[in-house]
Order: sequence, then C-alpha cells, then structure tokens
Amino acid sequence: MEQKNKKRNTLGLRRKKYAWLVPLSSVKLTLVLLSLSMILVFVATLEQVRIGIRGALAEYFESMFGIWHYPEQFWGGEYLNAIPLPIPGGYLLGGLLIINLTAAYITRFQWTFKKMGIQLIHLGIIMLLVGQLATQAMQEESRMQINKGESSNYIERFHGVELAFSNVTDANQEKVVTIPEDILAKGGVIRTPKLPFKIKIKRFGVNCDFTVTPEDSKRSAISQDVNRGVGHTANLSITEKDEDFSSDGLNFGYLVFELLDGSKSLGTWLSLAHPGGNHWWKESPMLSDLAFQPIRHHGELWGVTLRSEREYLPYSIELIDIENEFYQGTEIPFNFESDIVLNMEENQSRRALVYMNTPLRHAGKTFYQYQMNAAADYTVFQVIRNPSWLVPYIACILVSIGLLWQFSFHLVRFLRKNSTKSQPA
Amino acid sequence: MVPSSSNAGIFTNFSLGIFTLLLFSCGEEPTIQSYVIPSEYEGPVVTWKLPSDWGENPDLSGPMAGSFHVKSDLGPVGRIGIMPFRESVSTLDVANMFGKEMGYGLLSEDDLSELAQVRTIDSREFEWIRLVDKAEVGSMRTVLLALYRNEEETWLFPFIGDQPLINEQMKNFESFLSSTTLRAGKEKIRAKVPQPAPPASAQHAEGPTWDIPSHWQKAEASSMRLASYEVADKNGSRLDFSVTSFPGDVGGLLANVNRWLGQIGMEEVKENEIEKYVTEIIIDEQDAQLVVAEGEEQALYAAIIMIEGRSWFFKISGDLNLAQLEKPNFLSFLNTVCFH
Repeated sequence: MEQKNKKRNTLGLRRKKYAWLVPLSSVKLTLVLLSLSMILVFVATLEQVRIGIRGALAEYFESMFGIWHYPEQFWGGEYLNAIPLPIPGGYLLGGLLIINLTAAYITRFQWTFKKMGIQLIHLGIIMLLVGQLATQAMQEESRMQINKGESSNYIERFHGVELAFSNVTDANQEKVVTIPEDILAKGGVIRTPKLPFKIKIKRFGVNCDFTVTPEDSKRSAISQDVNRGVGHTANLSITEKDEDFSSDGLNFGYLVFELLDGSKSLGTWLSLAHPGGNHWWKESPMLSDLAFQPIRHHGELWGVTLRSEREYLPYSIELIDIENEFYQGTEIPFNFESDIVLNMEENQSRRALVYMNTPLRHAGKTFYQYQMNAAADYTVFQVIRNPSWLVPYIACILVSIGLLWQFSFHLVRFLRKNSTKSQPA
Repeated sequence: MVPSSSNAGIFTNFSLGIFTLLLFSCGEEPTIQSYVIPSEYEGPVVTWKLPSDWGENPDLSGPMAGSFHVKSDLGPVGRIGIMPFRESVSTLDVANMFGKEMGYGLLSEDDLSELAQVRTIDSREFEWIRLVDKAEVGSMRTVLLALYRNEEETWLFPFIGDQPLINEQMKNFESFLSSTTLRAGKEKIRAKVPQPAPPASAQHAEGPTWDIPSHWQKAEASSMRLASYEVADKNGSRLDFSVTSFPGDVGGLLANVNRWLGQIGMEEVKENEIEKYVTEIIIDEQDAQLVVAEGEEQALYAAIIMIEGRSWFFKISGDLNLAQLEKPNFLSFLNTVCFH
C-alpha cells in the first residue's frame, strides 16, 4: 500500500514540478492533432495530382503550414477556389505531436513495471516522429551514373545546383571551388580567397527554357549581357520558368555571372545545369562546352560550370556489367541488375550485384538500382544517405515489445483469474 | 525499479534538451567549398603569362588558341599567336606555309636546314625559323616561327612583325614561351575555343563542320554557296570567303586554278607550271590541295578537297595586304574543317 502511494506521489511530484506541461499533455490535443494530420494527408494527396510528389512534400509536409485552394473542379469550386486556406504543415503537426506525447509521458504516465508496455509504445511513437523529423533534416538523395567498364567516385544531388570552378593547369590534380545554390540565390558579389577573381551574380534561376538563336538575332533580356563562353557563341536566349516539382519534371538551372579581377571585368558568362548531369551536354556539339567553359587567368586555365551539387566519395564503384529483363512479350521490366566492384580505401575491393530492392550499403550510403540503359551501356543508382535510417526500426521494435508486454500482462492476469475461478470448491 | 523524482527530473530535462537541439540544429549554413581531386579534365590545356607590354587580340580565331600584339605609342604592333595542330606536321610544311608569302618559293629540306635551328627554353626544345621578307625590296617584315612538339601534337608560335620589333621583344617572346603550359588532352586536340556557331547551312546532314574566325562577318549565303563570309579592315579593304561544293571534279585542278587566277587578274598557267601555286596539304586526314595566288593588288587562297565524289572549295580572295594578314587565319580555319 505504501509502495502504491509512493508511485502516485512520484506522478504527483512530476505534475507539480512540470505544471506548465499538463495542458500540453491533453488527450483532446492529441485527437485534434491527429484529425488535422488526416486533413493534411487528404489535402496533400489531392495536391499531389497538380504539383507532383515533390511539390506536395515541400508545400505541406516540409513546412510549418501550406496554403491550399479548394479545387476548381469540385462542387462550388468556382467560388471557393479563390479563398486561400492555411493548412497546418507536417513540421508543425509533427512537432506538436512530439511535444504532446512527451508532455503526456512526463505528466500523465505512471512509471511503473505494470505500465511499462504503455510507456514503450509511446516512446516508440515519439521515436518514429523524431526519426522522421531527423530524416527530413538530414536525408540526402543523389544519383550516380556509371558507364559500363568505367568507374565513378562522385554522386550528384537530385535537387540543388552549385557553381564549380576547376583549376586544371596541373596535369595530376584539379583544385575545385564550389559555390552552393543558396549563396548564388542571394545574388550580389561573391568574394573568396579561394578564387583569383570575384563573381558578380547577375541572374540566377532554378529552371528555364533556352534557345540557340540565329547569330544576328537579339537575345532575351536575361542573357543579353553575356559576352563570353557558350552563351555568347551559341547566342543562347533564356526564358525564366518556375521550378517543375513533378516527378518527371526537368529543371535547367541557369546563372548569368560576371567575373571581376579587382574592378576590371573579365566578361560575363552564362551557365546552364543539365538536370540529368552535365555530361549530357556533350551530346550537343554546340552546347558541349557548358560542361566546362574555359577561363584563362594569370597563366592558369580554369573551367566553370553550373552543375548538380556534387559530393566526392573516398571510394569508387566500377560497373562490370548490366542486365535488364522484361516480362515476356512486354516492355515491363521485372529485373534491372548491375554487376559492380566497390573499390574501397587501402586497395580493398568487393564485388556485388545491385538489383531491384537489393541495394548496396556502404559507409552510410545506400545505392539503389534506379535507371538503366542497356543500349547505351550505363546504369544509374539512387544514392540515399540517411543517418537516422535505424530509428524507425528501433521505434517499431519498441512498440512491438510494448504491445507484447501490455497484452501478455493482461493475458496472464486473465488466465490467473480464470484458473482461480475454475478450481473446484 | 522506479525512477526517483530526481532521476526523473534529469531524464526530463535531458529529453527536452535533445528535442530543442534537434529543432534548432536542422539548418546548415551554406559555405563555399574547396577541395583537390585527381585530374578529371580530358581536354587540352593551353595557358600563358603575357609580358606587361603585350596585349591580347580580341579577334581570336577558332583554331588559334591565343593571339597577341605588342603595345606601342602608335597602337598595337606585331602579331604573336599560339596555333596547335591536331596531327604532327613537318617543319618543312610549316616553313612553306609562311615561306611563300615571304618570297622564298618552295623550300626544300636543304633550304630549311640553313634556316632552322633548335633553341632550348626552360628545358623545352623549340625549332626556331626566322624568315625575312624577300618578296619586297627594303621590307623589314619578318616571321619568326617557334615550333614545339609535344607527344603527337605540334604547337606553333608565330611572331610576325618588323625585324627591329622582333629583336627588341625577343626576351619577352622567350619569357612568354617559357610561361606557357601546353598539355595535350586525352581527346585529340582541336585547339577549340568557344566560337560563333557555324552557319546552319554548314551543318546539313552530310556536310562538313568548321570553326570560323570570330571577326569574319557572315554574308548572305546563296544556293551556290554553303557559307559566305566577309572580312574588312578600317581602310575599307575587303575579302570574300566562300564554301562551295559540286559533284565531280568540276573540270579538274588546272581549270579551277586558271579560273581563279583570271578572277584576280593573273595570267593562266600550264599544267607543268601549276606547282607554282598549288601545294599538297591535309584536311581532316584527307589529301587536299592548297592554292596560293598573290597578284599585284589581289590575292586568292583556296583549298580543294574531294570527298566521296564531290569537290569542296574553301576560298578567300580580295585585297592583297588584307589577304596576307588573314592568311594564318585561313590556314587555321582549314585545320578545323571536319567531314565526319
């Protein structure tokens, strides 16, 4: 009896000490948040048709709130469509749910052996939510394309570009200086001791249409200042476009920039980023230099390119062979397979097969079979880096143990009671 | 086992702290990165350091990797260039390219051995050929050719100017040669710098491609001309450049040469005299003929190549002085013609 009172007293002490958490632990709040989550999922599913998965994720899940317009084609849509409706976003609801559950954990739950199942279940759910938040913040999705018989030691992000300057004067090594998209988007003049010139950003955009115009015709306003490089020689005209969030959308990032040596202008260049990787520019003879526009400066040769954000790896992957199989008589693939050698540090290597649902995991990255072109002899891996990838598994194990504990506890109690009742008088 | 209230406090504060950290550690400040990787660039590398009293010519033509002048009170004087060749060319070929213009006639190996010497600059060996103007009495015009051979490629550094200027600038020329980085790419060099796109007519399905010098102005093409360009200088002198193609040999070499000689007011030649004007050259790894005809006021340079039963003519003609100035650009242009 004394023990029971002590436990209640512990909960009472906690409720007293963290009184400010008590309103946040309300079950009503939990229900409201779960209801709003259902609305969020419903709205985002509708919007996914219009703006694509990436657009819906960015607008509704990776934000504090999103603005939704009632679909025009629904009943009354002609009147209601104009009204912007704020919808609580994934970060807001997820964050509040974590607070709500944590508060409940502290101020409502009895920390007893008997209730350990409930505690584990809630701890698992909190871990799931926190894990998802961490995934959103830390997960990176990239691609790696390898031609058959060749190897690659870098990956490129699906989203986000960088301006890369490479000093190729030395025959053995290249010095690379990269400026990320966030800095380019801010505009202004970029100064860094890593480069012998300053970069004045004139125009930057995440997507555009570009046209090779006849030699004598006037270019569009965006590229009319360009007097060096491919933008000048191919007389490229640029039209700004909104970012295409759809799954098959192709976004050609563009940058118009001037290089300055002190106050002296070295010229104005245009650079375009190919969404499939800048090696694709080589397919177009007129635009092939977009992968490397030469700049000679103070006796050194630099190359400049706007490219998908790139990460070099301390290991490389060599593509030995590729195979793709289709269901008989159809063009529906049932297997894409890449036979690779992973060349690691210290001259170690490992041969592996990467195919659908059987990725290669190495050094915190997972390489999934993504695309393949057997005719052109290349494969593309989707590369995921998610430091919190284990969290959902641990969370599920915790919830399972919690449920098992809770139900077993009740089952044992029920069976005990039953056996006591059924004993003959 | 029940956690004591003090343990619970620590646990709670720790949990809240972790949660707060998680919330605020999501943003990462973008930074400019710098790193070194093993060389990936497969193209050629051509760099230089210019002497302080030299300037770069803005009218850099396609195959010329660099074009410079000497600054003087009277404006830019002299002309220095960097010209890479895709294939190894003989020293005699190069000497003859310039020799004819300087009144040397067709040079032989023996002639060359008297003109050429080897000069070592910073452990690099250059073939050094000095040609003085023999075509005009009293002319100070000199062509200094420095040839550097690197693996399968040949780099030519011509310095064209008056003799006193070349002598005065010799130290600068040598320090310029010493400062150059010349590295062949993994792909065969085409000495390509970004150039205006070739005319649409040049890109038709089976036609050749080429790089036009940037200062040549596009003129109206016609049904006969696949490409037409004009070169003009400040004095109003003009050159007309055209690319034409016809089935067959269009009457043969002699007929074509005589027709062109007539166009610039020169007398026709007989079959056995044709070598006065015609030399054998290579265009895109194929045999071709180069016609060099210089009259008193007019000049004509043309290349003829037969590809799959069709004759291709690349011809520039007009004012003699301007033509002589543009001759290196024309020869460089021929180096860029590609039929595959």
